[in-house]
Amino acid sequence: MNKPVKYYFAIFFLILSANVSSQILITHPDNSISQLSKKTMRSIFAMRTPHWPNGLPIQVFVLDDQAPIHISFCKHLLGMFPYQLRRVWDRQVFSGTGIAPITVKTEQEMINRVATTQGAIGYIMPENMTSSIKSIGEL
Amino acid sequence: MNRLNTQYFFIIIALYLPGLSYAETSWLDKTQIHGFASQAFIATTDNNFFGDSEHGSFEFTELGINASTQLSSKLRFSAQALSRRAGGFDDGSPRIDFALLDINLINYEQGQIGVYLGRIKNPIGLYNETRDVAHTRQGIFAAQSIYFDKVRDLILSADGIQLYGDYSLPNGTLFLRGGLGYSIPDDNVEQAYLGANFAGKLESNKLALLGQILYEHDGGRWIFSATGVTLEIDYESQPADALFGISDGTLKVDYTVLSTQYNGEKWQLTGEVAFENINPQGISEFHQALNSNTLGYSLEANYRLTSKLQGFIRQERFYIDKDDKNGSQYNATYLQPASSRYSKSWVIGGRWDINPNWMARVEYHSFKGLAILSPVENTTPTAKENWDMFALSLSYRF
Repeated sequence: MNKPVKYYFAIFFLILSANVSSQILITHPDNSISQLSKKTMRSIFAMRTPHWPNGLPIQVFVLDDQAPIHISFCKHLLGMFPYQLRRVWDRQVFSGTGIAPITVKTEQEMINRVATTQGAIGYIMPENMTSSIKSIGEL
Repeated sequence: MNRLNTQYFFIIIALYLPGLSYAETSWLDKTQIHGFASQAFIATTDNNFFGDSEHGSFEFTELGINASTQLSSKLRFSAQALSRRAGGFDDGSPRIDFALLDINLINYEQGQIGVYLGRIKNPIGLYNETRDVAHTRQGIFAAQSIYFDKVRDLILSADGIQLYGDYSLPNGTLFLRGGLGYSIPDDNVEQAYLGANFAGKLESNKLALLGQILYEHDGGRWIFSATGVTLEIDYESQPADALFGISDGTLKVDYTVLSTQYNGEKWQLTGEVAFENINPQGISEFHQALNSNTLGYSLEANYRLTSKLQGFIRQERFYIDKDDKNGSQYNATYLQPASSRYSKSWVIGGRWDINPNWMARVEYHSFKGLAILSPVENTTPTAKENWDMFALSLSYRF
């Protein structure tokens, strides 16, 4: 393979990987969980799983329904649409049968809240990963 | 204050602050407060729905506020106050919509089991629990063929106990609810089922039974649900009722709703059907003969043009007696208009989510029949069979 062709391939793969790179789940560094199934993620973000296996309450943080990161997170990691989660939360909040997650305004606020809240879970773009939080993979 | 004392003072404050702020965040994190407000405008070509709509009515206002607080890891308390002004149905006097203790009994890998105690909303169909919250409804009004506003309070909630359980299956989740409680009848129920507001009162002396099985496939891409409610309310007559030949009796109501919904990225398709058996016993011979099986259904297609704009089209049918859909037997027996026994309608509407808090709606309804109208707001013999309705609403939630 000559040089220019290799170069084009490299660019092609970069574009491809940029397209598939989706949000990552993050949690408080003390959380011993490092993988979650899609089913458990859905249940947690629907506010239907109140505790981690060790009994610690789960604290869910999300971005606004219209935030591109939230839309992409719902579609790619949960396989749902933002309006479906909103409906689940609304039904719980306005019938008293459950609660809604805490909405944060920015990705930085998400990182700060997750890093300082025991039992917290949220999501960010992979390039913003820092040592103050721990990532959770998909099982 | 000398220098040393000032230092101590600041050290004490500094030591105390993290504790204070921790206590505050933990209290805030454990308590949530939400609310809603909505105002509609309704105009009808003929007949009245939610006020004097023939001349334009603003008599549809909803206000609510709720709080939920986690008392311990297994115990949560939640309550909502509601004010609803709805034409002749409701004057807006505030009431406790729900007030319940949620006891989370068991958490296991496949789900959870718990119990609600107190005043609990009935999970009937897909929308009954939050039917008064504009943002969560399908339109400006709940589908009248399923969620009749003229008798809403009877099936809205109950004072009692409800058991809940979630069970996770390979491709979906099963949700089960079973409840036992006293329903809350009001004068609208008496008007709708007994035909007039008599001197006596409807009393909820017997426990109503509720059961719901709901399955969400693939994170809610498909939802299937079946709900059944059976209840019995007593009519306790007054001496003045004797003039009309009315005495004590009971009203038995069985209500079943089946629902299906598809939730796609752009399309949402919903179908619901409701069967109700109303069986008056005693009261009077006239009322006893009114025993009927109602049938109602609603089919809706909703399309998301953008994340903020949606449009929908809905067809509804409601028959007070499914064995006399066109009302001819009723007309022959009671000399009342046959059109009061059915309602067939089409609705088109739009929704604009201005921002996460504000939402505006516009709708056009076209009706044939009067069955969804209440005698509280209309004089049946002079009501018009074919009528249209235009409605607008502006709603806020937080």
